[in-house]
Amino acid sequence: MSGVFVYVESRNGQMVSVSGEVLGAAKKIAEELDEEVTAVVIGSDVEAVAETAFDLGADEVIGADDEALANYRLETYGPILTEIVNENEPDAVFIGATTQGRDLSAWLAVDTDAGLIADAVDLRVEDERVVATRPVYAGKLLCDAVIEDGLQIISLRARAFPAAESTGESGDAEWIDADVADTDTEVLGESAKEGGVSLSDANLIVSGGRGVGGPEGFDPLRSLAGVMGAAVGSSRAAVDAGWIPYEHQVGQTGKTVSPDLYMAFGISGAIQHQAGMRTSKLIVAINKDEDAPIFGLAHYGIVGDLFEIAPALEAEFKSRLG
Amino acid sequence: MKAVVCVKQTPSTTATFTVSGDSEVSWEDAGSGKPNVVNPWDEYTVEEGIRLKENHGATDVVALTFGAESSIDVLRTSLAMGCTSAVQVTDSALDGLGNLDSAKVLAAAIDKIGDVNIVICGKQAIDGDSGVTPVMLAKTLGWTPLTFVSAIKEVSDDSITVERTIESGKQEVSTSMPVVISVVNEINEPRYPSFMGIRKANKAQVPVWTAGDLDVDVSADNTKVSWSKVYAPPAREGEVEMIEGDDAAELAEALVDKLLEEKVL
Repeated sequence: MSGVFVYVESRNGQMVSVSGEVLGAAKKIAEELDEEVTAVVIGSDVEAVAETAFDLGADEVIGADDEALANYRLETYGPILTEIVNENEPDAVFIGATTQGRDLSAWLAVDTDAGLIADAVDLRVEDERVVATRPVYAGKLLCDAVIEDGLQIISLRARAFPAAESTGESGDAEWIDADVADTDTEVLGESAKEGGVSLSDANLIVSGGRGVGGPEGFDPLRSLAGVMGAAVGSSRAAVDAGWIPYEHQVGQTGKTVSPDLYMAFGISGAIQHQAGMRTSKLIVAINKDEDAPIFGLAHYGIVGDLFEIAPALEAEFKSRLG
Repeated sequence: MKAVVCVKQTPSTTATFTVSGDSEVSWEDAGSGKPNVVNPWDEYTVEEGIRLKENHGATDVVALTFGAESSIDVLRTSLAMGCTSAVQVTDSALDGLGNLDSAKVLAAAIDKIGDVNIVICGKQAIDGDSGVTPVMLAKTLGWTPLTFVSAIKEVSDDSITVERTIESGKQEVSTSMPVVISVVNEINEPRYPSFMGIRKANKAQVPVWTAGDLDVDVSADNTKVSWSKVYAPPAREGEVEMIEGDDAAELAEALVDKLLEEKVL
Protein backbone atom coordinates (compact mmCIF):
# COMPACT_ATOMS: atom_id res chain seq x y z
CA MET A 1 0.00 0.00 0.00
CA SER A 2 1.38 3.33 -0.94
CA GLY A 3 0.45 6.71 -2.28
CA VAL A 4 -2.03 9.47 -1.53
CA PHE A 5 -4.95 9.51 -3.96
CA VAL A 6 -7.10 12.56 -4.56
CA TYR A 7 -10.55 12.33 -6.10
CA VAL A 8 -10.70 15.38 -8.35
CA GLU A 9 -14.21 16.73 -8.85
CA SER A 10 -15.03 18.54 -12.06
CA ARG A 11 -17.93 20.49 -13.44
CA ASN A 12 -18.37 21.26 -17.13
CA GLY A 13 -14.91 19.93 -17.91
CA GLN A 14 -13.18 22.07 -15.27
CA MET A 15 -11.77 21.18 -11.89
CA VAL A 16 -13.81 22.61 -9.01
CA SER A 17 -11.85 24.89 -6.67
CA VAL A 18 -11.96 22.63 -3.61
CA SER A 19 -10.10 19.91 -5.53
CA GLY A 20 -7.18 22.29 -6.00
CA GLU A 21 -7.13 22.75 -2.22
CA VAL A 22 -7.28 18.98 -1.67
CA LEU A 23 -4.37 18.47 -4.08
CA GLY A 24 -2.35 21.05 -2.14
CA ALA A 25 -3.07 19.32 1.19
CA ALA A 26 -2.34 15.89 -0.32
CA LYS A 27 1.02 17.08 -1.65
CA LYS A 28 2.14 18.18 1.82
CA ILE A 29 1.06 14.94 3.47
CA ALA A 30 2.58 12.83 0.69
CA GLU A 31 5.91 14.60 1.10
CA GLU A 32 5.94 13.83 4.82
CA LEU A 33 5.14 10.18 4.05
CA ASP A 34 7.65 10.14 1.20
CA GLU A 35 4.92 9.07 -1.20
CA GLU A 36 3.39 10.30 -4.44
CA VAL A 37 0.09 12.01 -5.19
CA THR A 38 -2.24 10.43 -7.72
CA ALA A 39 -5.28 12.32 -8.96
CA VAL A 40 -8.39 10.34 -9.91
CA VAL A 41 -10.51 12.00 -12.59
CA ILE A 42 -13.93 10.67 -13.60
CA GLY A 43 -16.29 12.18 -16.18
CA SER A 44 -16.77 12.90 -19.85
CA ASP A 45 -14.35 15.11 -21.78
CA VAL A 46 -12.13 15.53 -18.75
CA GLU A 47 -8.67 15.59 -20.38
CA ALA A 48 -8.31 19.24 -19.36
CA VAL A 49 -9.06 18.30 -15.76
CA ALA A 50 -6.23 15.77 -15.83
CA GLU A 51 -3.90 18.48 -17.18
CA THR A 52 -4.93 20.82 -14.39
CA ALA A 53 -4.21 18.06 -11.87
CA PHE A 54 -0.65 17.63 -13.21
CA ASP A 55 -0.18 21.39 -13.12
CA LEU A 56 -1.36 21.48 -9.49
CA GLY A 57 1.20 18.92 -8.40
CA ALA A 58 -0.24 15.48 -9.08
CA ASP A 59 2.54 12.98 -9.85
CA GLU A 60 0.15 10.63 -11.63
CA VAL A 61 -3.39 10.86 -12.97
CA ILE A 62 -5.67 7.89 -13.37
CA GLY A 63 -8.92 8.63 -15.12
CA ALA A 64 -12.10 7.28 -16.64
CA ASP A 65 -13.47 9.31 -19.53
CA ASP A 66 -16.76 8.11 -21.01
CA GLU A 67 -19.83 9.80 -22.47
CA ALA A 68 -21.96 7.75 -20.10
CA LEU A 69 -20.22 9.58 -17.24
CA ALA A 70 -21.27 13.03 -18.46
CA ASN A 71 -23.71 13.44 -15.59
CA TYR A 72 -22.48 12.61 -12.13
CA ARG A 73 -24.40 9.75 -10.59
CA LEU A 74 -23.19 8.09 -7.41
CA GLU A 75 -24.03 4.63 -8.77
CA THR A 76 -21.81 5.08 -11.83
CA TYR A 77 -18.95 7.10 -10.32
CA GLY A 78 -18.81 5.13 -7.05
CA PRO A 79 -17.88 1.73 -8.51
CA ILE A 80 -15.19 3.28 -10.73
CA LEU A 81 -13.57 5.04 -7.78
CA THR A 82 -13.71 1.77 -5.82
CA GLU A 83 -12.14 -0.12 -8.73
CA ILE A 84 -9.28 2.35 -9.06
CA VAL A 85 -8.61 2.31 -5.32
CA ASN A 86 -8.74 -1.50 -5.13
CA GLU A 87 -6.37 -1.83 -8.09
CA ASN A 88 -3.79 0.57 -6.68
CA GLU A 89 -4.14 0.15 -2.91
CA PRO A 90 -3.17 3.66 -1.82
CA ASP A 91 -2.51 4.56 1.83
CA ALA A 92 -5.05 7.35 1.77
CA VAL A 93 -7.80 8.84 -0.38
CA PHE A 94 -8.60 12.55 0.02
CA ILE A 95 -11.84 14.03 -1.30
CA GLY A 96 -13.35 17.54 -1.09
CA ALA A 97 -16.31 17.51 1.32
CA THR A 98 -18.83 18.67 -1.27
CA THR A 99 -22.21 17.00 -1.81
CA GLN A 100 -20.51 14.72 -4.34
CA GLY A 101 -17.48 14.15 -2.09
CA ARG A 102 -19.57 13.26 0.95
CA ASP A 103 -21.45 10.65 -1.07
CA LEU A 104 -18.43 9.16 -2.83
CA SER A 105 -16.38 8.94 0.37
CA ALA A 106 -19.20 7.02 2.08
CA TRP A 107 -19.59 4.76 -0.97
CA LEU A 108 -15.87 4.00 -1.03
CA ALA A 109 -15.72 3.40 2.74
CA VAL A 110 -18.45 0.75 2.51
CA ASP A 111 -16.92 -0.96 -0.54
CA THR A 112 -13.43 -1.10 0.96
CA ASP A 113 -14.55 -1.58 4.59
CA ALA A 114 -12.21 1.30 5.44
CA GLY A 115 -12.24 4.09 7.99
CA LEU A 116 -13.68 7.46 6.97
CA ILE A 117 -13.15 10.88 8.52
CA ALA A 118 -15.46 13.57 7.17
CA ASP A 119 -14.88 17.30 6.89
CA ALA A 120 -11.27 17.67 8.00
CA VAL A 121 -10.02 21.23 8.52
CA ASP A 122 -6.40 20.34 9.32
CA LEU A 123 -4.11 17.40 8.59
CA ARG A 124 -0.76 16.21 9.89
CA VAL A 125 1.29 13.03 9.96
CA GLU A 126 2.07 11.09 13.15
CA ASP A 127 3.64 7.62 13.16
CA GLU A 128 3.12 7.31 9.40
CA ARG A 129 -0.64 7.84 9.81
CA VAL A 130 -2.71 10.91 8.96
CA VAL A 131 -4.19 12.77 11.92
CA ALA A 132 -7.20 14.81 10.85
CA THR A 133 -8.69 17.64 12.87
CA ARG A 134 -12.42 18.01 12.33
CA PRO A 135 -15.16 20.08 13.92
CA VAL A 136 -17.87 18.27 15.87
CA TYR A 137 -21.05 19.64 17.45
CA ALA A 138 -21.13 22.26 14.71
CA GLY A 139 -17.64 23.46 15.46
CA LYS A 140 -18.26 24.01 19.15
CA LEU A 141 -15.57 21.37 19.66
CA LEU A 142 -12.71 20.03 17.59
CA CYS A 143 -11.57 16.45 17.46
CA ASP A 144 -8.31 14.89 16.31
CA ALA A 145 -9.20 11.67 14.55
CA VAL A 146 -7.01 8.94 13.16
CA ILE A 147 -7.67 5.77 11.19
CA GLU A 148 -5.26 3.33 12.77
CA ASP A 149 -5.29 0.52 10.20
CA GLY A 150 -5.78 0.11 6.49
CA LEU A 151 -7.00 2.62 3.94
CA GLN A 152 -7.56 6.15 5.26
CA ILE A 153 -10.47 7.96 3.58
CA ILE A 154 -10.69 11.62 4.50
CA SER A 155 -12.93 14.35 3.15
CA LEU A 156 -11.62 17.93 3.39
CA ARG A 157 -13.71 21.01 4.03
CA ALA A 158 -13.70 23.63 1.29
CA ARG A 159 -11.56 26.72 1.93
CA ALA A 160 -9.86 25.16 4.97
CA PHE A 161 -6.64 24.43 3.04
CA PRO A 162 -4.65 26.70 0.72
CA ALA A 163 -5.00 25.84 -2.96
CA ALA A 164 -2.08 24.11 -4.66
CA GLU A 165 0.06 26.42 -6.73
CA SER A 166 0.62 25.96 -10.42
CA THR A 167 3.84 24.03 -11.12
CA GLY A 168 3.82 24.23 -14.90
CA GLU A 169 4.26 20.45 -14.95
CA SER A 170 2.41 18.20 -17.35
CA GLY A 171 2.13 14.47 -17.81
CA ASP A 172 0.32 11.57 -19.42
CA ALA A 173 -2.77 10.40 -17.64
CA GLU A 174 -3.57 6.71 -17.48
CA TRP A 175 -7.09 6.35 -18.88
CA ILE A 176 -8.80 3.14 -17.85
CA ASP A 177 -11.61 1.35 -19.68
CA ALA A 178 -14.16 1.52 -16.93
CA ASP A 179 -17.38 -0.44 -16.99
CA VAL A 180 -20.11 2.08 -16.42
CA ALA A 181 -22.58 0.41 -14.03
CA ASP A 182 -26.17 -0.12 -15.09
CA THR A 183 -28.53 1.94 -13.01
CA ASP A 184 -32.18 3.00 -13.10
CA THR A 185 -31.12 6.44 -11.92
CA GLU A 186 -31.47 9.09 -14.60
CA VAL A 187 -30.54 12.75 -14.48
CA LEU A 188 -33.54 14.48 -16.08
CA GLY A 189 -32.14 17.98 -15.97
CA GLU A 190 -29.98 20.49 -14.19
CA SER A 191 -30.48 24.15 -13.57
CA ALA A 192 -27.70 26.48 -12.59
CA LYS A 193 -28.11 28.68 -9.58
CA GLU A 194 -29.31 32.17 -10.28
CA GLY A 195 -26.55 34.78 -10.51
CA GLY A 196 -24.47 36.01 -7.63
CA VAL A 197 -21.54 34.46 -5.85
CA SER A 198 -22.04 31.09 -4.15
CA LEU A 199 -21.71 31.29 -0.36
CA SER A 200 -19.55 28.19 0.07
CA ASP A 201 -16.97 29.37 -2.47
CA ALA A 202 -17.00 33.04 -1.55
CA ASN A 203 -13.87 34.94 -0.49
CA LEU A 204 -16.02 37.78 0.82
CA ILE A 205 -19.43 37.55 2.47
CA VAL A 206 -21.78 40.38 3.42
CA SER A 207 -24.38 39.01 5.79
CA GLY A 208 -27.55 40.41 7.37
CA GLY A 209 -29.62 39.44 10.38
CA ARG A 210 -32.65 40.51 12.36
CA GLY A 211 -31.31 44.06 12.35
CA VAL A 212 -32.06 44.54 8.65
CA GLY A 213 -35.72 44.71 9.70
CA GLY A 214 -37.38 43.32 6.56
CA PRO A 215 -36.89 41.96 3.06
CA GLU A 216 -36.02 45.38 1.65
CA GLY A 217 -33.40 45.75 4.41
CA PHE A 218 -31.20 43.41 2.37
CA ASP A 219 -31.14 45.87 -0.56
CA PRO A 220 -28.26 48.02 0.75
CA LEU A 221 -26.34 44.84 1.66
CA ARG A 222 -26.87 43.35 -1.83
CA SER A 223 -25.73 46.60 -3.33
CA LEU A 224 -22.59 46.68 -1.15
CA ALA A 225 -21.92 43.01 -1.95
CA GLY A 226 -22.22 43.80 -5.66
CA VAL A 227 -19.54 46.46 -5.43
CA MET A 228 -17.25 44.22 -3.38
CA GLY A 229 -17.86 41.05 -5.42
CA ALA A 230 -19.12 39.40 -2.23
CA ALA A 231 -21.78 36.76 -1.65
CA VAL A 232 -24.82 37.61 0.48
CA GLY A 233 -25.42 35.64 3.65
CA SER A 234 -27.95 35.85 6.44
CA SER A 235 -28.72 34.63 9.91
CA ARG A 236 -31.47 32.12 10.57
CA ALA A 237 -33.67 34.84 12.07
CA ALA A 238 -33.86 36.65 8.71
CA VAL A 239 -34.61 33.40 6.85
CA ASP A 240 -37.27 32.32 9.34
CA ALA A 241 -38.88 35.75 8.99
CA GLY A 242 -39.11 35.13 5.24
CA TRP A 243 -36.88 38.09 4.32
CA ILE A 244 -34.39 36.05 2.29
CA PRO A 245 -34.35 32.45 0.94
CA TYR A 246 -32.86 29.60 2.94
CA GLU A 247 -29.92 29.14 0.56
CA HIS A 248 -28.41 32.30 2.08
CA GLN A 249 -28.49 31.00 5.65
CA VAL A 250 -25.16 30.75 7.46
CA GLY A 251 -25.05 28.76 10.68
CA GLN A 252 -25.53 25.44 12.33
CA THR A 253 -28.57 24.50 10.24
CA GLY A 254 -27.43 26.50 7.23
CA LYS A 255 -24.12 26.71 5.46
CA THR A 256 -20.72 26.61 7.10
CA VAL A 257 -18.48 29.23 5.53
CA SER A 258 -14.90 30.40 6.01
CA PRO A 259 -14.33 33.37 3.74
CA ASP A 260 -11.38 35.75 3.98
CA LEU A 261 -13.80 38.44 5.16
CA TYR A 262 -17.20 38.03 6.84
CA MET A 263 -19.14 41.24 7.44
CA ALA A 264 -22.08 40.78 9.83
CA PHE A 265 -24.70 43.53 9.62
CA GLY A 266 -27.37 43.52 12.32
CA ILE A 267 -26.52 39.98 13.38
CA SER A 268 -26.45 39.52 17.15
CA GLY A 269 -24.25 36.43 16.83
CA ALA A 270 -26.21 33.60 18.45
CA ILE A 271 -24.11 30.51 19.11
CA GLN A 272 -25.82 28.72 16.18
CA HIS A 273 -24.78 31.49 13.79
CA GLN A 274 -21.23 31.53 15.12
CA ALA A 275 -20.99 27.80 14.41
CA GLY A 276 -21.35 28.54 10.72
CA MET A 277 -18.88 31.44 10.37
CA ARG A 278 -16.39 31.36 13.23
CA THR A 279 -13.59 30.06 11.01
CA SER A 280 -13.80 33.14 8.76
CA LYS A 281 -10.35 34.68 8.54
CA LEU A 282 -11.46 38.22 9.30
CA ILE A 283 -14.78 39.11 10.91
CA VAL A 284 -16.31 42.57 10.95
CA ALA A 285 -19.46 43.28 12.96
CA ILE A 286 -21.77 46.24 12.48
CA ASN A 287 -24.49 46.41 15.11
CA LYS A 288 -26.53 48.98 17.02
CA ASP A 289 -26.17 47.01 20.22
CA GLU A 290 -22.66 47.35 21.63
CA ASP A 291 -23.28 44.28 23.82
CA ALA A 292 -24.14 41.99 20.89
CA PRO A 293 -22.24 38.68 21.24
CA ILE A 294 -20.95 39.01 17.66
CA PHE A 295 -18.44 41.62 18.91
CA GLY A 296 -16.84 38.86 21.01
CA LEU A 297 -15.91 37.05 17.83
CA ALA A 298 -15.21 40.00 15.55
CA HIS A 299 -11.82 41.48 14.73
CA TYR A 300 -13.27 44.88 13.91
CA GLY A 301 -16.54 46.35 15.13
CA ILE A 302 -18.68 49.37 14.45
CA VAL A 303 -21.52 50.35 16.76
CA GLY A 304 -23.96 52.07 14.50
CA ASP A 305 -26.90 51.97 12.12
CA LEU A 306 -26.33 49.51 9.30
CA PHE A 307 -28.55 51.58 7.00
CA GLU A 308 -26.03 54.42 7.28
CA ILE A 309 -22.86 52.34 7.42
CA ALA A 310 -23.59 50.00 4.48
CA PRO A 311 -24.13 52.80 1.89
CA ALA A 312 -21.12 54.70 3.28
CA LEU A 313 -18.97 51.58 2.89
CA GLU A 314 -20.28 51.10 -0.62
CA ALA A 315 -19.30 54.65 -1.54
CA GLU A 316 -15.89 54.19 0.08
CA PHE A 317 -15.23 50.91 -1.75
CA LYS A 318 -16.30 52.47 -5.04
CA SER A 319 -13.86 55.36 -4.66
CA ARG A 320 -10.98 53.24 -3.32
CA LEU A 321 -11.28 50.15 -5.50
CA GLY A 322 -12.22 52.15 -8.57
CA MET B 1 -46.27 2.58 0.34
CA LYS B 2 -44.44 2.19 3.60
CA ALA B 3 -41.95 4.81 4.74
CA VAL B 4 -39.38 4.82 7.52
CA VAL B 5 -38.06 8.12 8.84
CA CYS B 6 -34.72 7.94 10.68
CA VAL B 7 -34.58 10.33 13.61
CA LYS B 8 -31.60 10.94 15.85
CA GLN B 9 -31.41 12.52 19.26
CA THR B 10 -28.70 15.18 19.42
CA PRO B 11 -27.61 17.96 21.78
CA SER B 12 -29.74 21.07 21.33
CA THR B 13 -28.36 23.78 19.07
CA THR B 14 -27.98 26.11 22.07
CA ALA B 15 -26.20 23.54 24.24
CA THR B 16 -22.83 24.46 25.70
CA PHE B 17 -20.11 21.84 25.89
CA THR B 18 -17.50 20.89 28.44
CA VAL B 19 -14.55 18.62 27.83
CA SER B 20 -13.02 17.02 30.91
CA GLY B 21 -10.31 14.48 31.61
CA ASP B 22 -9.73 12.08 28.78
CA SER B 23 -11.73 13.89 26.08
CA GLU B 24 -14.95 13.23 28.01
CA VAL B 25 -17.67 15.43 26.49
CA SER B 26 -20.73 16.64 28.37
CA TRP B 27 -23.27 19.34 27.59
CA GLU B 28 -26.10 21.30 29.09
CA ASP B 29 -28.60 23.86 27.95
CA ALA B 30 -29.19 26.31 30.72
CA GLY B 31 -31.55 28.43 28.63
CA SER B 32 -34.13 25.88 27.54
CA GLY B 33 -33.35 23.20 30.13
CA LYS B 34 -33.61 20.66 27.29
CA PRO B 35 -30.10 19.50 26.51
CA ASN B 36 -31.28 16.91 23.95
CA VAL B 37 -33.59 17.43 21.01
CA VAL B 38 -34.65 15.92 17.70
CA ASN B 39 -31.68 16.49 15.37
CA PRO B 40 -32.81 19.74 13.66
CA TRP B 41 -32.22 18.29 10.17
CA ASP B 42 -34.49 15.36 11.09
CA GLU B 43 -37.48 17.63 11.72
CA TYR B 44 -37.62 17.93 7.92
CA THR B 45 -37.27 14.15 7.66
CA VAL B 46 -40.31 13.54 9.84
CA GLU B 47 -42.36 16.22 8.08
CA GLU B 48 -41.59 14.77 4.65
CA GLY B 49 -42.58 11.30 5.85
CA ILE B 50 -45.92 12.60 7.08
CA ARG B 51 -46.44 14.38 3.75
CA LEU B 52 -45.93 11.05 1.96
CA LYS B 53 -48.92 9.82 3.95
CA GLU B 54 -51.02 12.94 3.38
CA ASN B 55 -50.18 13.57 -0.30
CA HIS B 56 -48.89 10.34 -1.78
CA GLY B 57 -50.94 7.62 -0.13
CA ALA B 58 -48.27 6.15 2.14
CA THR B 59 -50.04 3.81 4.57
CA ASP B 60 -47.31 3.66 7.21
CA VAL B 61 -44.78 6.21 8.34
CA VAL B 62 -42.55 4.57 10.93
CA ALA B 63 -40.19 6.72 12.99
CA LEU B 64 -36.99 4.83 13.76
CA THR B 65 -34.27 5.85 16.16
CA PHE B 66 -31.07 4.20 17.30
CA GLY B 67 -29.54 5.69 20.40
CA ALA B 68 -29.55 5.96 24.16
CA GLU B 69 -32.64 5.07 26.22
CA SER B 70 -33.53 8.76 26.37
CA SER B 71 -33.95 8.78 22.58
CA ILE B 72 -37.54 7.60 23.11
CA ASP B 73 -38.25 11.36 23.36
CA VAL B 74 -37.53 11.96 19.68
CA LEU B 75 -39.98 9.18 18.79
CA ARG B 76 -42.68 10.75 20.96
CA THR B 77 -42.13 14.02 19.10
CA SER B 78 -42.28 12.21 15.73
CA LEU B 79 -45.50 10.43 16.71
CA ALA B 80 -46.98 13.69 17.96
CA MET B 81 -46.22 15.28 14.58
CA GLY B 82 -48.06 12.47 12.79
CA CYS B 83 -45.94 9.35 12.27
CA THR B 84 -48.13 6.23 12.40
CA SER B 85 -45.80 4.14 14.56
CA ALA B 86 -42.29 4.11 15.99
CA VAL B 87 -39.44 1.74 16.80
CA GLN B 88 -36.56 2.36 19.18
CA VAL B 89 -33.29 0.46 18.95
CA THR B 90 -31.32 0.82 22.14
CA ASP B 91 -28.82 -1.49 23.81
CA SER B 92 -25.67 -0.74 25.76
CA ALA B 93 -24.08 -3.57 23.76
CA LEU B 94 -24.43 -1.29 20.71
CA ASP B 95 -22.75 1.75 22.29
CA GLY B 96 -19.79 3.33 20.56
CA LEU B 97 -20.30 1.89 17.08
CA GLY B 98 -18.65 3.48 14.06
CA ASN B 99 -20.54 5.06 11.16
CA LEU B 100 -20.83 1.94 9.05
CA ASP B 101 -21.85 -0.34 11.92
CA SER B 102 -24.49 2.20 12.98
CA ALA B 103 -25.84 2.14 9.43
CA LYS B 104 -25.91 -1.67 9.62
CA VAL B 105 -28.01 -1.50 12.80
CA LEU B 106 -30.48 0.84 11.10
CA ALA B 107 -30.57 -1.43 8.04
CA ALA B 108 -31.30 -4.48 10.19
CA ALA B 109 -34.13 -2.62 11.92
CA ILE B 110 -35.58 -1.55 8.55
CA ASP B 111 -35.37 -5.17 7.43
CA LYS B 112 -37.27 -6.25 10.53
CA ILE B 113 -39.92 -3.55 10.06
CA GLY B 114 -40.40 -5.14 6.63
CA ASP B 115 -41.93 -4.17 3.26
CA VAL B 116 -40.43 -0.68 3.38
CA ASN B 117 -40.32 1.26 0.07
CA ILE B 118 -38.61 4.45 1.14
CA VAL B 119 -36.32 5.54 3.98
CA ILE B 120 -35.88 9.23 4.71
CA CYS B 121 -32.89 10.65 6.62
CA GLY B 122 -31.73 14.17 7.40
CA LYS B 123 -28.68 15.34 5.49
CA GLN B 124 -26.57 15.05 8.62
CA ALA B 125 -26.81 15.07 12.42
CA ILE B 126 -25.58 18.13 14.26
CA ASP B 127 -23.41 16.13 16.67
CA GLY B 128 -21.10 14.12 14.38
CA ASP B 129 -21.84 16.28 11.31
CA SER B 130 -20.39 13.61 9.01
CA GLY B 131 -23.39 13.25 6.71
CA VAL B 132 -22.40 9.78 5.55
CA THR B 133 -25.13 7.61 7.09
CA PRO B 134 -27.69 7.89 4.24
CA VAL B 135 -25.30 6.47 1.62
CA MET B 136 -23.92 3.84 4.00
CA LEU B 137 -27.48 2.79 4.88
CA ALA B 138 -28.53 2.62 1.21
CA LYS B 139 -25.53 0.50 0.30
CA THR B 140 -26.07 -1.84 3.24
CA LEU B 141 -29.71 -2.30 2.21
CA GLY B 142 -28.74 -2.57 -1.46
CA TRP B 143 -31.11 0.30 -2.29
CA THR B 144 -30.58 3.43 -4.35
CA PRO B 145 -29.32 6.50 -2.45
CA LEU B 146 -30.68 9.93 -3.37
CA THR B 147 -28.99 12.59 -1.27
CA PHE B 148 -29.57 16.32 -0.63
CA VAL B 149 -33.18 16.12 -1.83
CA SER B 150 -34.98 19.47 -1.82
CA ALA B 151 -38.30 18.29 -3.34
CA ILE B 152 -40.10 15.04 -4.06
CA LYS B 153 -41.74 15.66 -7.43
CA GLU B 154 -43.41 12.29 -7.97
CA VAL B 155 -43.42 9.09 -6.02
CA SER B 156 -45.16 5.73 -6.41
CA ASP B 157 -44.52 2.19 -5.22
CA ASP B 158 -42.26 1.70 -8.25
CA SER B 159 -40.44 4.94 -8.93
CA ILE B 160 -39.52 8.36 -7.60
CA THR B 161 -38.49 11.70 -9.10
CA VAL B 162 -36.75 14.24 -6.90
CA GLU B 163 -34.99 17.55 -7.08
CA ARG B 164 -31.53 17.58 -5.50
CA THR B 165 -29.76 20.73 -4.37
CA ILE B 166 -26.05 20.63 -5.15
CA GLU B 167 -23.33 23.28 -5.25
CA SER B 168 -24.01 24.27 -8.85
CA GLY B 169 -27.79 24.50 -8.52
CA LYS B 170 -30.65 22.01 -8.82
CA GLN B 171 -30.66 18.58 -10.39
CA GLU B 172 -33.77 16.55 -11.23
CA VAL B 173 -33.27 12.82 -10.87
CA SER B 174 -35.54 9.80 -11.21
CA THR B 175 -34.96 6.22 -10.12
CA SER B 176 -36.77 3.06 -9.15
CA MET B 177 -37.81 2.15 -5.62
CA PRO B 178 -36.79 1.24 -3.00
CA VAL B 179 -34.68 4.26 -2.09
CA VAL B 180 -32.93 5.93 0.82
CA ILE B 181 -33.18 9.69 0.52
CA SER B 182 -31.57 12.43 2.57
CA VAL B 183 -33.36 15.75 2.73
CA VAL B 184 -32.31 19.40 3.12
CA ASN B 185 -34.19 22.24 4.80
CA GLU B 186 -35.70 23.63 1.64
CA ILE B 187 -37.92 20.57 1.27
CA ASN B 188 -40.64 21.66 3.68
CA GLU B 189 -41.65 23.60 6.77
CA PRO B 190 -41.92 21.17 9.70
CA ARG B 191 -45.19 21.35 11.60
CA TYR B 192 -45.53 21.67 15.36
CA PRO B 193 -46.99 18.66 17.16
CA SER B 194 -50.70 19.16 17.87
CA PHE B 195 -52.15 18.92 21.36
CA MET B 196 -54.07 15.78 20.38
CA GLY B 197 -50.93 14.43 18.76
CA ILE B 198 -48.93 14.87 21.94
CA ARG B 199 -51.58 13.07 24.00
CA LYS B 200 -51.70 10.20 21.53
CA ALA B 201 -47.91 9.99 21.35
CA ASN B 202 -47.59 9.80 25.11
CA LYS B 203 -49.95 6.80 25.18
CA ALA B 204 -48.41 5.01 22.22
CA GLN B 205 -46.61 1.70 22.81
CA VAL B 206 -43.17 1.89 21.22
CA PRO B 207 -41.40 -1.42 20.66
CA VAL B 208 -37.82 -1.42 21.93
CA TRP B 209 -35.39 -3.63 20.04
CA THR B 210 -31.98 -4.71 21.28
CA ALA B 211 -29.03 -6.28 19.48
CA GLY B 212 -30.59 -9.70 20.09
CA ASP B 213 -33.71 -8.73 18.15
CA LEU B 214 -31.72 -7.75 15.07
CA ASP B 215 -29.81 -9.85 12.59
CA VAL B 216 -26.65 -7.80 12.61
CA ASP B 217 -22.95 -8.38 13.17
CA VAL B 218 -21.38 -5.23 14.58
CA SER B 219 -18.82 -4.34 17.23
CA ALA B 220 -17.50 -1.27 18.98
CA ASP B 221 -14.04 -2.72 18.29
CA ASN B 222 -14.66 -2.05 14.62
CA THR B 223 -14.99 1.77 14.72
CA LYS B 224 -11.91 2.11 12.48
CA VAL B 225 -11.67 5.79 13.43
CA SER B 226 -10.36 6.74 16.84
CA TRP B 227 -10.97 10.16 18.27
CA SER B 228 -7.65 10.62 19.95
CA LYS B 229 -8.46 14.02 21.38
CA VAL B 230 -11.54 16.23 21.72
CA TYR B 231 -11.09 19.86 22.72
CA ALA B 232 -12.59 23.31 22.60
CA PRO B 233 -11.42 25.37 19.62
CA PRO B 234 -8.72 27.83 20.63
CA ALA B 235 -10.23 31.18 21.53
CA ARG B 236 -9.58 33.90 19.01
CA GLU B 237 -6.56 35.87 20.02
CA GLY B 238 -6.94 39.53 20.74
CA GLU B 239 -9.93 41.71 21.40
CA VAL B 240 -12.26 43.29 18.91
CA GLU B 241 -10.98 46.66 17.71
CA MET B 242 -13.84 49.12 17.67
CA ILE B 243 -13.74 51.60 14.80
CA GLU B 244 -14.47 55.15 15.91
CA GLY B 245 -15.65 58.10 13.86
CA ASP B 246 -17.97 61.08 13.88
CA ASP B 247 -20.23 59.95 11.07
CA ALA B 248 -20.87 57.03 8.75
CA ALA B 249 -18.43 58.29 6.11
CA GLU B 250 -15.59 58.53 8.63
CA LEU B 251 -16.36 55.09 10.04
CA ALA B 252 -16.48 53.61 6.55
CA GLU B 253 -13.18 55.20 5.60
CA ALA B 254 -11.47 53.95 8.78
CA LEU B 255 -12.82 50.43 8.31
CA VAL B 256 -11.81 50.22 4.66
CA ASP B 257 -8.30 51.38 5.70
CA LYS B 258 -8.12 48.41 8.07
CA LEU B 259 -9.46 45.95 5.50
CA LEU B 260 -6.90 47.08 2.93
CA GLU B 261 -4.16 46.74 5.56
CA GLU B 262 -5.35 43.19 6.30
CA LYS B 263 -5.14 42.42 2.58
CA VAL B 264 -8.49 40.66 2.49
CA LEU B 265 -9.77 42.67 -0.47
